[in-house]
Amino acid sequence: MKDIARQNMSIKVESMDLLNGQIKMEAHASAIYLAMASWCEQNGFFTSAKFFYKQTEEERGHMMKIFQFLVDVGGNPISPEVKNINHDYSSIVDVFETTLEHEVAVTKSIHNIVLKARELGDITTERFLDWFVLEQVEEENTIRDILDMIEVTGTEGVGLQMIDNKVNDWME
Amino acid sequence: MKVVYKSEFYTLYQSKKDRYHYLDMGQKTVRLSFCQLLALRHKVLSIPIENHFDSYSNQHGFEVLMLCNKEHLFVLNTLEVLDLKNLVENSLSAMGVSSKSVLLLQ
Ligand SMILES: [Fe+2]
Ligand SMILES: [Fe+2]
Repeated sequence: MKDIARQNMSIKVESMDLLNGQIKMEAHASAIYLAMASWCEQNGFFTSAKFFYKQTEEERGHMMKIFQFLVDVGGNPISPEVKNINHDYSSIVDVFETTLEHEVAVTKSIHNIVLKARELGDITTERFLDWFVLEQVEEENTIRDILDMIEVTGTEGVGLQMIDNKVNDWME
Repeated sequence: MKVVYKSEFYTLYQSKKDRYHYLDMGQKTVRLSFCQLLALRHKVLSIPIENHFDSYSNQHGFEVLMLCNKEHLFVLNTLEVLDLKNLVENSLSAMGVSSKSVLLLQ
């Protein structure tokens, strides 16, 4: 008896479901950052807007990386539905704080998939996620640094404009 | 053909000759590649069964299911949908690519 299922797909179905969930989360992140870019544009934070345009692209890149992985392992990647995108922020500080919260949530989600894959003995998925685990360290660190910079600069007087200009330091 | 899993209304077979699965849906048997089986699973598991108990969201309690690039069309009632959800999950476990097993309706 040929093992058709295993011959067609090299990861577990549960991992596939979780990775499809992650595709959705990355797409959601991409959409949130685009909404943040819009807010920044409308409130005069043009450098921050550029920063979020870049983030939007990066998140889409993450999404496509997982999508392609599911194709490579013979899974069934699902194009995500994205809704409930918040466009309201009380300040630029609120924007970056929300960004950090979001990145932390993404990190937790990825760690959860790693643990589940490990439980399932799905080494392929676990190894695939190594890149994402390290990428999240970088992402969280960037936003934390920006929040530290905001703290030091202060939001009084020209502070807000200085903050926006300094965001440039985090855009290679 | 070897039986992969038999639920109350449906049976999934794996062929010994070709690389296909055959799903006996009662009225007819559908030939599925593994990819198509995964697509079927996604469709079936995405059906919001709660709506069947809400006369607003799904007044008549039926689902229309299209399979294999719209080659086949099935109309399923609530019990059939539940049974099919049961079948897809347990079939994948039986095939060793999933560790989930569910028991519905039994
Ligand atoms: Fe990401
Ligand atoms: Fe991110």
